Amino acid sequence: MSVVTEVSQDGKKLTISIEGRFDFGRHQEFRESYERLNSKPESIVVDLKKATYLDSSALGMLLLLRDHAGGDDSDIRVVNSSSDVKKILAISNFDKLFDIS
Amino acid sequence: MNEIHLDRDVLSTLKEVMEEGYLELLDTFLNDSEARLRVLHEARDAEKLSATAHSFKGSSSNMGAIRLAELCGELEQRAKQPSLGGIESLVNEIDSEFAHVRKLCREEREGFHC
Amino acid sequence: MQSSSEPLTVLIAEDSAADRLLLSTIVRRQGHHVLTAADGAEAVDVYLEQRPHLVLMDAMMPVMDGFEAAQRIKQLAGDQLVPIIFLTSLTESEALARCLEAGGDDFLAKPYNQVILAAKIKAMDRLRRLQATVVEQRDQIARHHDYLLNEQRVAKAVFDKIAHSGCLSAPNIRYLQSPYALFNGDLLLAAFNPAGDMHVLLGDFTGHGLPAAVGAMPLAEVFYGMTAKGYGLAQILREMNAKLKRILPVDMFCCATLLCLSFQRCTVEIWNGGMPDGYLHDSLSGVRTPLPARHLPLGVLTPQLFDDRTEVHPMSLGDRVFLLSDGVIETSDRDDQPFGVERLQQVFSANREPDRLFEDIQQALRDFRGEARDDFSMVEVRLVAPTQLNPPPPVYSDSGQSSPLDWSVSFEFRAQTLKRFNPMPYLLQLLLEVHGLRAQSGALYSVMSELYSNALDHGVLGLDSSLKRDAAGFARYYSDRNTRLDELSDGYVRVHLHVSPNGEGGRLTIEVEDSGEGFDVARVLARPVDSDRLSGRGVSLVRQLSHQASWSDDGRRARVEFFWEALA
Repeated sequence: MSVVTEVSQDGKKLTISIEGRFDFGRHQEFRESYERLNSKPESIVVDLKKATYLDSSALGMLLLLRDHAGGDDSDIRVVNSSSDVKKILAISNFDKLFDIS
Repeated sequence: MNEIHLDRDVLSTLKEVMEEGYLELLDTFLNDSEARLRVLHEARDAEKLSATAHSFKGSSSNMGAIRLAELCGELEQRAKQPSLGGIESLVNEIDSEFAHVRKLCREEREGFHC
Repeated sequence: MQSSSEPLTVLIAEDSAADRLLLSTIVRRQGHHVLTAADGAEAVDVYLEQRPHLVLMDAMMPVMDGFEAAQRIKQLAGDQLVPIIFLTSLTESEALARCLEAGGDDFLAKPYNQVILAAKIKAMDRLRRLQATVVEQRDQIARHHDYLLNEQRVAKAVFDKIAHSGCLSAPNIRYLQSPYALFNGDLLLAAFNPAGDMHVLLGDFTGHGLPAAVGAMPLAEVFYGMTAKGYGLAQILREMNAKLKRILPVDMFCCATLLCLSFQRCTVEIWNGGMPDGYLHDSLSGVRTPLPARHLPLGVLTPQLFDDRTEVHPMSLGDRVFLLSDGVIETSDRDDQPFGVERLQQVFSANREPDRLFEDIQQALRDFRGEARDDFSMVEVRLVAPTQLNPPPPVYSDSGQSSPLDWSVSFEFRAQTLKRFNPMPYLLQLLLEVHGLRAQSGALYSVMSELYSNALDHGVLGLDSSLKRDAAGFARYYSDRNTRLDELSDGYVRVHLHVSPNGEGGRLTIEVEDSGEGFDVARVLARPVDSDRLSGRGVSLVRQLSHQASWSDDGRRARVEFFWEALA
């Protein structure tokens, strides 16, 4: 599994961890990771600690997640980004939409 | 060498399969076999001999004529040997075995009612 | 024994009449339709005429034996699987191998066992259906593939036309787009606005092929349509963003750099949303100033949240703006390491001949990767004297019979409008209804834009044009402008247009008034007209391009005239 999901005990926080390349090949798994949940979590963490690469379709997937979580009202943090991944997120100015660390 | 001329178990299976076509099957087999026997007597080349014996072997085995099939198989092999010695006596043996089978088939034919 | 699956048509090729009769009866009683043949040649004929699903074939037959018949039938069946079961009392492995070589799929030994025969027919039927499904799916995929290729070809043809109807062939533009890049979502557009300024867009859609091209069409349409009408970057960007946001799925967007190169003002105005840094290359000092992405890509934010703020940089003749797509810096080597910005900058430092920059970059990419990636775009635009360019004259579609010749109109644009609306394209469209003015639409637009921005910037917003003396002041000027415009709560710009007949031709008088402090007209007018300084450029431009330019009311009111002769 290259997309691992974990929901906190109180069900309020969803953590999605990506392993390996975060590209179009992860599309299905990534969508399922949050669409299959019965209740909507209050906050979402996307953990990129083990992600080696990120392309523009990954950015598209983050937008889908954001839309699913309520768009401008969503609370999504992207954590543990490597410096290369951070560069890509910075060029796209995605730090204006997501809390990136 | 097997002493069974016509296997009763095989015949009862054929009867079950063929139903009213059973008599036609017996007749066809007999006519077919007589034609093959003629070829065996007249054949001058080994290849023809072997091929006919092969076909005769197949249809005999289907009818439960076990000894006849075995004799045909023997002839098929013998015809492939370089020396053709002993062929004639083998053909004669097939002749007399077929006479047995024919007699049994005809009895079978008389006794069949569907 | 009845077969559970659909009845098949089975061909029985057997020279022994008794065996043929027996086998036919067995197969028929299993529920199948039976065809018979007494030798191989007959079997091939029956196959041709009736196309049975399955063949039971005796190996040794007169005229044509089973091996040859099997080979012919397999050949005739082509992609279809017609299973052939050899009927044989053969026992030698060599003979059995011959059956397989001839295309046989299975054997049935004499004497026949009907249970085994039924099982074999069933198994072969499954295989046959599987093959039929595979062939059908393969053909379906092939049809879809052809269909898709054709669609892509058509879309590409349409797209190429849209993407190349601009001025990419202008002498100050150089670009390199790999053939694959175009359909890979990279988009390069260029066009002149009515004032002779050049708009250039380099975009990169997420996704590839058709989806990207579909998004590119409306983008190109907005770009060309609004540029031709004289809209500024901010309005064009807002429209592009709103349109893409409306039509694209959530996960699709377009990274883009849009710039406006003004040959008269010697400036470049630029907006970068999600593209790699562009570079402004100073030809004298050799310094390359990065033009980084300050915005999210187009199609992500709602119109309410979209940020259309641009940056303006001064340029001198010969300076260049260089833009590139991420295909360049994301080209990876065999270890998946990207080429990266640092390596690109090393190419910049090593570059001795600016005209060979593209070649140097391509060479560096090849050295890095061993082979050049074929989905990158690069474009370079150079600031040249306006006379070196030859913008195509605008095309008008009306007949020219309804030209209005005697009218006046006055507008007053107040603070809330000045903040977000540029009325110049509308006023220009209005004036171009007057056919006599069409020949000088460029000068007309430049002068109107200049008068309007002078009235807004120096009048209403009170910005000091002398700030624009150097590059740093230039940046401050535009940052101050953004702040003051945001905070603007009162003030106005009035525009009066007066068209009247004059001899055989006519005359247009334009007056622009503002609510600002005015300026020392006498001092400004005393400067030489062809001043090459960055500041105060507006006034000399107006004086060069129009007649009777005059200022009154302490500089708060500007007046210019345009004349035209009788039309041929």
